[in-house]
Amino acid sequence: MDIPAMRASFAKATATGDEAPLYFYSHLFLSHPETRKMFPVSMAHQRDRFFHALGEVVAHVDDLDRVVPMLQALGRDHRKFGIVPAHYPAAGASLLATLRHFDDEWNPALEKDWSDAYGLVAKVMMEAAEAASDQPPWWDAEVVSHERRTIDTAIMWLRPEPGFSYQAGQSISLESDVRPKLWRYYSPANAPRPDGLLEIHVRAYDGGPVSTALVRRVGPGDVLRLGPPMGHIAFDQESDRDLLLVAGGTGLAPLKAVVDQVARYGPARRVDLYVGSRTEERIYDRAALEELGQEHPWLTVTFAVSHDDLSTLEQGDIGEVVARHGPWNSRDVYVAGPPAMVEDTTTRLLKDGLRPERLRSEVFAPSRLGPSLDGEVTQ
Amino acid sequence: MTTDDHGSGAGERRLTPADVQNVRFSRAPMLHPGYNDAEVDRFLVRMAGELARLHAEEAQLRDQVLALQDQVVALQEQVAGATAVEPPSEQAVRILATAQQTADSYVAEAEDFSRQMTADARAQYEEQVRRARENAGATIQAAQEAAARMVAGGGQPAPAGDGGERGTTQDLEEQVAYLKAFAQACRVQLRSYLEALLTDVETEWGRADPATLQQLPLRTPAQRPAVTAAPGTPNVAREVPLDDSTSEQPAVGGNAEVPARRRN
Repeated sequence: MDIPAMRASFAKATATGDEAPLYFYSHLFLSHPETRKMFPVSMAHQRDRFFHALGEVVAHVDDLDRVVPMLQALGRDHRKFGIVPAHYPAAGASLLATLRHFDDEWNPALEKDWSDAYGLVAKVMMEAAEAASDQPPWWDAEVVSHERRTIDTAIMWLRPEPGFSYQAGQSISLESDVRPKLWRYYSPANAPRPDGLLEIHVRAYDGGPVSTALVRRVGPGDVLRLGPPMGHIAFDQESDRDLLLVAGGTGLAPLKAVVDQVARYGPARRVDLYVGSRTEERIYDRAALEELGQEHPWLTVTFAVSHDDLSTLEQGDIGEVVARHGPWNSRDVYVAGPPAMVEDTTTRLLKDGLRPERLRSEVFAPSRLGPSLDGEVTQ
Repeated sequence: MTTDDHGSGAGERRLTPADVQNVRFSRAPMLHPGYNDAEVDRFLVRMAGELARLHAEEAQLRDQVLALQDQVVALQEQVAGATAVEPPSEQAVRILATAQQTADSYVAEAEDFSRQMTADARAQYEEQVRRARENAGATIQAAQEAAARMVAGGGQPAPAGDGGERGTTQDLEEQVAYLKAFAQACRVQLRSYLEALLTDVETEWGRADPATLQQLPLRTPAQRPAVTAAPGTPNVAREVPLDDSTSEQPAVGGNAEVPARRRN
């Protein structure tokens, strides 16, 4: 297989920007109209995503240890979209047509290499999907309660079908009939419970189609679909070092799950939870957290506001407040929240001497279609 | 009449052109005149020709049927594999691509509109809440001042002593504030000291002899609360340098957590 030549032809396709993926999907939908219904109305994000994933494969094709697990995860995850083995050759044919269209030096050798390479990729994905077929492709989950906490934040409790399992700190993709085919990732705010219920925090992002619908339109009795859980914030259940948790926005969710994990399953550790917010009203889960703090002597909850001079809470950006109460160098530290907050907090902590391997962070940004390799979750 | 194979089940074996050519008719008795020999022969030749043509045609048709059957199977396979679909024309692809882009831009526009509306609404909402809180604060303050005035006006105990009393209260308040700040500073310093000690303890013990540490028993959950409650109490009084302190480990409450920390 002539990998440099393949990379060159792929580079020609990506150099056209949106053109190549646009061609690919149009070709696919024309040759296999039945595949259209697997995608949302607007394909803008989908196009980026597909070529991005393909680019990863092309870039690391000679490093199978890295590519294969990624493809396997993709293959497993794609079952929730309703993709079956027959769809793989269809996509392969359209991919070849696309590369051919954008490469003026296309030749039979290149055609064969790409065809073989795609065959391999499809095989790995299909085998992983097949191996996961003892699990359903998705789980239905009923909304058992839905509570608007602030103007733009809601907390939902979901009851998934039996057999759905996950770990504290993982995230779960979910889809609603109100916004079909748009899957978004959320982190449950509780550790696995005997009754299987999930607590989900959703902040309606301005103009965000899914988050807005989840906050304002979904209600008790509605049924959502859950994809298989994906792990990335990687909560270290083995460690018994004391914890510092720093949350911004709905980044609180996975950190509340960590508190719940410690409360339910131990080991006993001192936990300091810092919750940052712009204004006092925006702290959407204050009562529950204060209650937790009273219930558990090992837990200290501190709230801080950055844009609310009338508040009696701690003032300042949460990273600054945390640093003020430091040092935290003996702790395991988890930070989750909006990009700027995560950046600021982690920089300060590392500057104060925290060892990088003890710090785990997760960025919660609007409109994520899926976690990347390092993991990104939706607000 | 005889043919070469008469009696061998004419119903199964087909009549071949050769059969027709080789057929011999027995002579008719003199009293019964027969067919004109030449006519019969001529007809037989024609019949042989016709049969030959039919056989050839049949063979050809059979070949054709086989070929078509192969083709059907091949097509079925292709359809199942979904690879042999007629590729869409360039023009069709272009038209669909444009249509998709139009749809995308409508969705994006709608999202953008909704984003702006929501952002405006949110800004207004926050402004209103802020103003309401300010007003509430001002009202409460005014009420408190009014109450203070009423109390002062109602009591009128000692206009002379008022200044002195206020002075004392102010002094006391200042002292309270100072003490609070002092306590806070002490807490912060004490905590930094303890945290630093914990860090040291970890680093140094791990460095001293990791092998012996591995053999120490892990903390049982029952031991933990004690450790958490007083993480470094024995350390505070101890001034021994930490470098050569491996022998002292058992004396310190938090020691057994070191192997656990080494795990990562």
